[in-house]
Amino acid sequence: MKQHIAEKQRQTGRLKCSGTVLATLLATTTAGYAQEALEVWSRSGPQAAATYEAVFEAFTEKTGIPVEYLTALQFDTQLQARVAARDLPDVLIYDQSSMAAYANAGWILPIDPTSLAGHDEVSDVSWDSVRMADGSTYGVPFSQHAQITFVRKDWRENLGFDVPTTHEELIALATAFATGDPDGNGVDGDTYGMAVPGTTNRGFFAWWMFSYLAQQGAHYVEGGDGKYEVTINNPEGVAAVEWLYDAFCGDPNLAQPGAMTNASATPFFAEGQAGIYQTGPYAITSFTDKIGAENLEIIIAPAGSAGSTTLTERTSIYFGSTTTMPEAQKALAEFLISEEGQTLGMTAPGQPVVRLPVNVNLNAAEIYGDERFVTVAEQLEMSELMPSDIDFTAARLEIAETFQTLFSQCNDDVVEQLDVLAGLIADELDAVNALK
Amino acid sequence: MAAGIRMSFQEVSPFLGNQWVGWENYATVLTNSRFHQAVSNTLVLGVGQSFGAVLVGFILALLLEGPSRSLWFVRTAVFLPVVTASAVVGEIWRIIYFPSPDGFMNKVLGLVGIDPIRYLEDTSVALYAVMTVGIWSSAPYYMVIFLAGLAGVDRTLYEAAAIDGARLRHRIVSITIPALRPAIMIVSILAAVRALRIFTDVWVLTGGGPAGSTQVWMTQIYTQGFERNNLGVASAASILLLIASVLLTVVAIYFTRNKEDR
Repeated sequence: MKQHIAEKQRQTGRLKCSGTVLATLLATTTAGYAQEALEVWSRSGPQAAATYEAVFEAFTEKTGIPVEYLTALQFDTQLQARVAARDLPDVLIYDQSSMAAYANAGWILPIDPTSLAGHDEVSDVSWDSVRMADGSTYGVPFSQHAQITFVRKDWRENLGFDVPTTHEELIALATAFATGDPDGNGVDGDTYGMAVPGTTNRGFFAWWMFSYLAQQGAHYVEGGDGKYEVTINNPEGVAAVEWLYDAFCGDPNLAQPGAMTNASATPFFAEGQAGIYQTGPYAITSFTDKIGAENLEIIIAPAGSAGSTTLTERTSIYFGSTTTMPEAQKALAEFLISEEGQTLGMTAPGQPVVRLPVNVNLNAAEIYGDERFVTVAEQLEMSELMPSDIDFTAARLEIAETFQTLFSQCNDDVVEQLDVLAGLIADELDAVNALK
Repeated sequence: MAAGIRMSFQEVSPFLGNQWVGWENYATVLTNSRFHQAVSNTLVLGVGQSFGAVLVGFILALLLEGPSRSLWFVRTAVFLPVVTASAVVGEIWRIIYFPSPDGFMNKVLGLVGIDPIRYLEDTSVALYAVMTVGIWSSAPYYMVIFLAGLAGVDRTLYEAAAIDGARLRHRIVSITIPALRPAIMIVSILAAVRALRIFTDVWVLTGGGPAGSTQVWMTQIYTQGFERNNLGVASAASILLLIASVLLTVVAIYFTRNKEDR
């Protein structure tokens, strides 16, 4: 019996011992999983990623909060994987156009702007852009710019043209680039008028087209405060699309070959094949390196009947909803909108991630030491944002696909296709309860 | 897979809670005109690419069968497209297909007086341009399977046929093809299943464009899932693809067995 009791005690002792070891192990493991760094994602190429890294390093130095930074080029795909795991990055720095979709899906948290130190240094128009239809705010503005027009100055001068200021002059210049010999290699017509990103990936073509349509008073949709009506098939819309149709389907075709399926039109301009390119100022550094500052000019968009409007593009900061570090999220946002954070985003080695500051105390041209940013800032004053208080993603994809079809097939049914497109946009707006 | 099946009956929103929607996702897939276009493109691409790749693989195997060292080198060179990443293959072919008159392929065709073609831009050509890339990159894989099959063909049959005065085509039709029947069947099933789930080639070459003319089932699934954020619809489309693949395999096995029984 005694022996039995002793055996029992030994067993209990072993169990207790194992229990203690297990508890210690669990505690260690749990501690191992406890989040130590703020996980931040952006969609950036290697150069912009280097800039972000410098910005986050300064943030860590200042606040002591470590940052684990990931640049996700396939942002949406990678984010979906994290959504499925219900473990989102703490902070996302991404296009303003994604805010409404993320907010509606519960992936990002609402933000009270007044709770952020330095919120009053951010322009009102920037805060307006991160407001949803119901008035709630889901993002913190970080960077802003408008699409700008790049022209090969040397090519233009070789052919004896002035800087284009109207659509007619723009088309005349593009035609001369497409048919003449602007690069002086002795061969006519081996260069292209305009570099055009006709890809439907993320609905990109819809963004590019927006500017040329707006310059003629045409819009995909019009309205505000969460309710929009489709206007792309009204008389202004038809006229503007027919104008673009002539550029793509006329003779000569003013876009580079393969424009409708190229993932990016940038190489065509950067490598001296096309002479005009409308894109964001983030390309200034690489174009200057490749083409030379003396051969590159940035101009205000040549005006159509309704002016020189181009597309406003914005980058905002979002707070992932599964975070365990709310205070660190706020601290990072506060740093990123501060004069120090914004300046670093423009000047740290790499590629500027703050194209034009949202902080009203800063002057981009002075910080960059580059007069061309005066034009970039002027263009921003003449720009418009696509709807971002509603989830416009599906409508944007429909728009890009319709125009890719129209300009690939070139079969003259502009009015008919615009009517079909208007119906598709209306359906998508209706699906998100945003149809006026 | 169980999660995929479950999601195909739900409106998927991990953070707001998934909603059970019954067969709605399947109805969306089956009634969506983009999916209809994708089905027809997938079938044209699947049939054309499978047939083309099997045929080219077979011809390559006949040409490159043998023990000599130079053939070994050529076989290795021909096999390279199989081991090259699809994304790289796509980029190389984008360069080959560059649509201006001084693009590589257009220059070659120009030598025989053919006008420049907009391979990936012309809606009536793009699908066949993608098909060509698919044949180019998968035929060598089938070649290897055929080579293994050819090694098992009894040489004396060829000698006997030669003595009887059979021509080359008679020998191929009467000896080689019957002896390779199991290999042909396996290769055909592999080719068909592979063609059904083609994605990277299309995505890199055209992104499904222009005008949806190269949109296939898998690119539609990607667009629905990751661009439009309709994971439920994408899951339903994936399950339908799985069913089609299984059916195709079962039918192929059924026919193979029937032939073997006879």
